[in-house]
Amino acid sequence: MPQVIISVGREFGSGGKAIAEQLAKRFNIPIYDRHLITEIADKTGLTPEEIEKYNEKPKNHILSRRVNGYSNSIEDNIAEMQFSFLREKALSGESFVVVGRCSETKLRDFKCLVSLFILGDMSEKIKRVMAIYDLSEDKAKAFIDKKDRKRKRYHNYHCEGHWGDSRLYDLSINSSRLGIDKTVDLLEEYINARINNG
Amino acid sequence: MAAAQIFAVVIFIGMFVMIVLDKIERHIVTIGSGILTLVVVFGICMRSGSAIMDTLAIRSFITKDFWYQVTESESKGINWATILFIAGMMVMVEGMAKAGFFRWLCMKIAYMVKCKTVPIFITFMVMSAVLSMFIDSITVIMFLAAVTIELASLLKFNPVPMILSEVFCANLGGSATMCGDPPNIIVGTSLGFSFFDFLSNTGLCAAISLLVSVLFLYFAFRKEITGGKHEPVDMSKFPKPSEAITNKKDFIISCIIFAMAVILLVTHATTHLTVASIGIFIAAVTLIAFGKHALELIKKVDYKTLLFFIGLFIVVSGLEETGILKLIANFIGDISGGNVMLMIAIILWVSAIASAFVDNIPFAATMVPVIQSLAETSGVPISTLAWSLAMGTDIGGSATPIGASANVVGTSVAQKNGYPIGWGKYCKKLAPATVIVLTISTVYLFVRYL
Repeated sequence: MPQVIISVGREFGSGGKAIAEQLAKRFNIPIYDRHLITEIADKTGLTPEEIEKYNEKPKNHILSRRVNGYSNSIEDNIAEMQFSFLREKALSGESFVVVGRCSETKLRDFKCLVSLFILGDMSEKIKRVMAIYDLSEDKAKAFIDKKDRKRKRYHNYHCEGHWGDSRLYDLSINSSRLGIDKTVDLLEEYINARINNG
Repeated sequence: MAAAQIFAVVIFIGMFVMIVLDKIERHIVTIGSGILTLVVVFGICMRSGSAIMDTLAIRSFITKDFWYQVTESESKGINWATILFIAGMMVMVEGMAKAGFFRWLCMKIAYMVKCKTVPIFITFMVMSAVLSMFIDSITVIMFLAAVTIELASLLKFNPVPMILSEVFCANLGGSATMCGDPPNIIVGTSLGFSFFDFLSNTGLCAAISLLVSVLFLYFAFRKEITGGKHEPVDMSKFPKPSEAITNKKDFIISCIIFAMAVILLVTHATTHLTVASIGIFIAAVTLIAFGKHALELIKKVDYKTLLFFIGLFIVVSGLEETGILKLIANFIGDISGGNVMLMIAIILWVSAIASAFVDNIPFAATMVPVIQSLAETSGVPISTLAWSLAMGTDIGGSATPIGASANVVGTSVAQKNGYPIGWGKYCKKLAPATVIVLTISTVYLFVRYL
């Protein structure tokens, strides 16, 4: 199989991560999400917990500064490490699935990139989050809003385009319409078509 | 005038907020704010062509004083002397970096102390202070921090205490001379002080503070510094200092040009050459010496910082021309009730606290006209207020990770190499060190100038 990089952006609770995992299985390629944290932990000597603390988080503008391209925001530096790790992997010719990390923008120069954005109906997202995190409806909604706000700020700080804007991705899809499995079927078909198209 | 004042203040505050938010690059923010000041404040509100001309200060280039200055004079509007000097030094530093000077110096010193952790800790602090007296602290820390991390991985020690101490000493060293820290260049060129004026006033205070700081930082970090593995050091494993030199001819030329810059700066009160002339001369010599690589050096000049300064000076002129800065000066005069001691303390500590949280360059640029006005109304010598301002802005920046450029670069280099430094870790030792140095400065200013 020629190199393929599948970038999966997602709304919190949309099942984007589950979809990414299934795609990785179907194409038999690695997925970089949690693994990205452990790989960087190995490389830097930081603990995965330390990296997790700052992972996909927007920087605090008041408490950090940037001088001549040097930022002293830990969030910024963890993000930059992840971006360069992804670029290295992409340059090595490896195929992989990556969840979030502004990958649709950071890897857009690679022709083999297929960028997807998974969204969902709020009611479905709440149900999902309530089940996974054992939360009440109100708390699940607040949790989703908080997570998505952070992802949006993180993305929009590191990229020119806006998080979730369909013009930024090859395909945006609402996972609530077909459910996780059928959405994966459809995406698999699309990715295969892209691979065959060269 | 009220409308002009309101717009000048709104533009200034807006510029500061935008710089802090870091959404748009800071040079675009200051240039945009500068254009707004020219159009809205001077053009629409004041309808004053002369205010625009004074602020742009283009005529200063054709005055003899700009290049060759026998008597001290003060500048208004865009401080082109600062811009030219910084640009010239940028070209020289790029040449030195290209030749491998900084890495060579770090390695050489590490070799001289036989790569032992505590002597490296002490000598690197002193080297950081001394280099920062002549070269911008960003460059100094960029190289020092990188070499510290390299040595830390070879000698198995935690580089964080050493990087933090280097950052602190770089800011302290920068306060010693006119060209050490941008606020000093602004204060010096705006108020007509020489390199030697700084050295004999803020320099002496910095030297005393450095001695105390080295002791304080050693005792503060001694457990972490001496706690590493004490295996015998195998010097053969270390990169040789000579390996850092990329081109021997360029290296020698860089050393000569650097020595020339230091001599010209130290003697400029005698030769009457202004810092603008020195900047242009040093840049020209560097470019000629590097011949075919000259274009490469010019391309590396950080023009964004230069634009940042230009925009900043225009916005500050908006506050000055509309009388806002005079109001601030009167306010300081009123609350100090004409008490010089209180005036010095207010300028030093307020500058320090402000510089710990906001960029000290805009702060210093804003405060220069304020202390000028304060000196006129209160009769306190401008030099006393200038040294208070310089020490406050230079030293205060050390207190927090965002206070000065060197702090940002040092903590960033550490983080990129897997050593995250948050506010807690940074402030635990460096905030007390800052307070100690500010206390020394306060006592020094009181004893020497009152």
